[in-house]
Amino acid sequence: MNPKTYNRPLYQPAAPYDQTGLVFFPAFDWAISPTHPEREERLLYTRDQIFEEGIMDLPQIRQYQPRLAELKDIARVHFCVPNVAAQASEAHRIAAGGALVIADAVLSDEIKNGFALVRPPGHHAMRVAHGNRGFCNINNEAIMVEYVRQKYGLRRVAIIDTDVHHGDGTQDIYWHDPDVLFISFHQDGRTLYPGTGFMNETGGPLAQGTTINVPLPPGTTDEGIFYVLDNLVLPILDEFQPELIVNSAGQDNHYSDPLANMSFSARGYAILNEKLAPDIAVLEGGYSIETALPYVNLGIIMAMAGLDYSNLYEPDYRQNRFKENRNRMQQLEKIVQQQYHLFQRRHQLTAQGRPTGEPFYQRQRHIYYDTDQIREQQLETLRICPRCPGYLMIDSEAAGPQGRIKVHCISIPQQACSGCQRAARDHYAKMRRRPPEACAYSYLQDRPRDTYQQYDYHRQREQTL
Amino acid sequence: MLIGIDVGGTFTDGVLYHDHKILRSMKSPTESDNLQASVLAVLDELLKDTRGSDIARVVLSTTLVTNLLATGGGDKVALILIPGPGLNLRQLRFFNFAYIVEGATDFRGRITEPLNKSQIERAGEEIVAAGIDKVAIAGKFSPRNSSHERETKQILLSRHPHLQIITGFEVSGQLNFLRRTVTTYYTAVTKNTWASFATNVQAAIRARGIDAAIDILKADGGTMPLPVSLQYPCETIFSGPAASTMGAYALTLDEKTSVVIDIGGTTTDLALILEGEPLHSSRGALIGGLHSNVRSFATRALALGGDSAVRWQEGKLTIGPDRLGPAACFGGPVATPTDAINLLKQGKLGPLPPSQQALEKIARPAGLTVAELAQQTIDQAIAQLLASINDMFTAWEQEPAYKIWELIHRRPVTADRVIGIGAAAAAFMPLIAAKLGCRSFVHTYSPIANALGAAVSRPTLSLLLHADTKRRHYHLNIDGITGSCNSNWRLTDAKEEARNQLRKIAQQRGIGHYANQYEFFREEQFNMIRGWSTTGKLYDVGIQIAPGVIDGFKGVQP
Repeated sequence: MNPKTYNRPLYQPAAPYDQTGLVFFPAFDWAISPTHPEREERLLYTRDQIFEEGIMDLPQIRQYQPRLAELKDIARVHFCVPNVAAQASEAHRIAAGGALVIADAVLSDEIKNGFALVRPPGHHAMRVAHGNRGFCNINNEAIMVEYVRQKYGLRRVAIIDTDVHHGDGTQDIYWHDPDVLFISFHQDGRTLYPGTGFMNETGGPLAQGTTINVPLPPGTTDEGIFYVLDNLVLPILDEFQPELIVNSAGQDNHYSDPLANMSFSARGYAILNEKLAPDIAVLEGGYSIETALPYVNLGIIMAMAGLDYSNLYEPDYRQNRFKENRNRMQQLEKIVQQQYHLFQRRHQLTAQGRPTGEPFYQRQRHIYYDTDQIREQQLETLRICPRCPGYLMIDSEAAGPQGRIKVHCISIPQQACSGCQRAARDHYAKMRRRPPEACAYSYLQDRPRDTYQQYDYHRQREQTL
Repeated sequence: MLIGIDVGGTFTDGVLYHDHKILRSMKSPTESDNLQASVLAVLDELLKDTRGSDIARVVLSTTLVTNLLATGGGDKVALILIPGPGLNLRQLRFFNFAYIVEGATDFRGRITEPLNKSQIERAGEEIVAAGIDKVAIAGKFSPRNSSHERETKQILLSRHPHLQIITGFEVSGQLNFLRRTVTTYYTAVTKNTWASFATNVQAAIRARGIDAAIDILKADGGTMPLPVSLQYPCETIFSGPAASTMGAYALTLDEKTSVVIDIGGTTTDLALILEGEPLHSSRGALIGGLHSNVRSFATRALALGGDSAVRWQEGKLTIGPDRLGPAACFGGPVATPTDAINLLKQGKLGPLPPSQQALEKIARPAGLTVAELAQQTIDQAIAQLLASINDMFTAWEQEPAYKIWELIHRRPVTADRVIGIGAAAAAFMPLIAAKLGCRSFVHTYSPIANALGAAVSRPTLSLLLHADTKRRHYHLNIDGITGSCNSNWRLTDAKEEARNQLRKIAQQRGIGHYANQYEFFREEQFNMIRGWSTTGKLYDVGIQIAPGVIDGFKGVQP
């Protein structure tokens, strides 16, 4: 953990492609509710800190304006019930749109990397969206990743979720996708929301070992996280060779976060981002709005822009305040070893896991939306295809304060073979003609054609995005 | 009667204005090493048939501070920084005598690290030993709590009472430590030079029997009384572009969206008036390549003017960036864009043969006819101007927004009109307007619109109030003014206080009669939630007397 030595003067002009892009969108007029952690005040002190620091005047930083994500950008990822507009308000579309602006700038080589410092967050939003879970409605990172895969033809992407909570939404969206590596490290699910992210969650049968969870013991410090980075995350990235690295950048591992119990520091976050060197970081959670966020956000910006962060520290930070203990370190060593082994055996596991002779694989799930108090039952059916990751069907039934609703969803991945594409489209056409019992909507997410359809059985109307 | 004088890089312009008429105007070359003489030469000419006692107001716009900063002149200054955590300022290598001392204040004005007294004392010894007697002190978050800056000043003065010290909170109370540092430093650099110029000019004006108010034009298009300018010398930078923008504003006075194009001899300045309001830059004027806290118009300068030298170099046509003299048709040595227009318009601007001969010298080796060369010159100049204009519109559209409402309600802007300012404007404007698809406006007084703009601009004053009801106090961005507030203050109370303070400061500055022409430009409130309940509120209120024209001004008769 030796920070680089910096000799460059602060104001040295940067070539455009050597700049770090920044979308700062604090949504000062949006809150889940007045006293909710996700409220107007959340990025207020961060604004004060980065404005006072004057960092946006430096030639290394280029500020961008967010835009509204298109409804289609959202439908590319989510089955929003009943429709996209119902789940994605202007605030959500701007947060996702902020990530898209940064992605466009990075992929067109305008900037070397970028940070979408936006709210509301997104990493708990799953493929089917009935409401708000864990402060999230739509998944900003996934919307960005599918957008760049569609627009720039990227295939292999790595999403590293550094939020203290398990990125269960992102995991769900990429569960069956062998080309998106999803690594989440987070406080152990036995002690924190959402209660998932265990080591045995390793991806669907055709995408084994590209979902990797690292449950951290409560209290883990900078040192522990650097160990995981150096010995697990970075070696895996090295082998996976993604075309794009995304940091799903939560800031609630901080020692002062009120909703979690970890011991990271602002400088730890800076070093993390320097080591990880993400192309794009997107803000997720982090609710220590005065003690952590102003400093952590500054640290991430500085690290991504190659600015010296050796003078960055929280007012109450003392060196060696948090030491990694032996017990935790031993746990981490075991986790790292086991998960690295998992990644290396991913092809083998996928080959073994392929059910022989079975045309479909099924799993049943129960999903709880804490914010909106919705309970959802899902039956996932995946076509087991010898040539591609297969198409996916989801029967989803949700019950909450708004009542009960049942929908049927079909998703064709970008990599689907022509046979699977045809079968999935035929299936949707059949579903349109003969609705399943009590089903209100059917959806077809056709990524190869980049068209997104939904059929309303009650009104007998189809919408296409 | 009012007098406006704009000292520009090439020319000094002046007008004598009364009752919607320009009684006299004057243009004379600027003596760059004696600006005072330039001012007085124009002043005396304007006063030829007028008694000094009939003058009600004199407004000056000068390049003195701009020049001083551009040439690295002014006084030697030592800088003391109190940055606390954040960027590593040891890499800020722009100031030779810079000391970084320990001590930190956070965004809510809480002291998080004590000041290191002995470091300051040591710095003081070194500064004095180096023969420097001016010190600029800038602390991070000093607008939220200036006690570290004040204390540092006291420590230095107690040992070295002769030091002249400028503190950051006095000159720049907006959040941006780097800009505050730059502004504080350059205020210290230019303060004495500006003061001696201003007091000399004042004495000379008084000696001419004028006992009217003397105002100085600022970069934001407003004026300040001369005595106030002594404290804020950096506010006078870029007053040239401000003068021409206000001139364009004064000549039109409507709610249209205009591009102001001031075509000088060597350079062209561009500015925007959006729906009748001149657009300010969100980033602060640049001094020596660094952003300052000086509020200025969002102007752009191009090294392209009516007298720019036209050349054929390595198979390419170049225009400028230099000026070798006036256009050939006015006795200059080489062909210029003005000659190109003169040729195409068959001698409408001046005698045709000199333009023709000058262009021929370039056309022949380039293998072009004279007419082709003239057309290419114009096309190229117009293309450069259009690129800059489009750039300005794009920059405005990409100004950051921080609220959903702001982002949703943004619409693209298009120009209704181009307003030509400066002597060469009339020839170029119709061509630019045709390309932009808008109207062209050139007034009889366009050549001296800058001096008119200075004469009729009203004072401006901009105030930001930040209140923290939990800590029960508020701060202003001016002069480090603070006060206490009630824990149950509402937004209306914060606005009321801002209004009272604006009135009070306006009166102190002798611009009290404009205090009622205020507008609020920012009203923000945040609930501070700790645990699950509201423990306080934060208010940010912005109030200003915006740029505009003086009472009773309704335009000029041609």
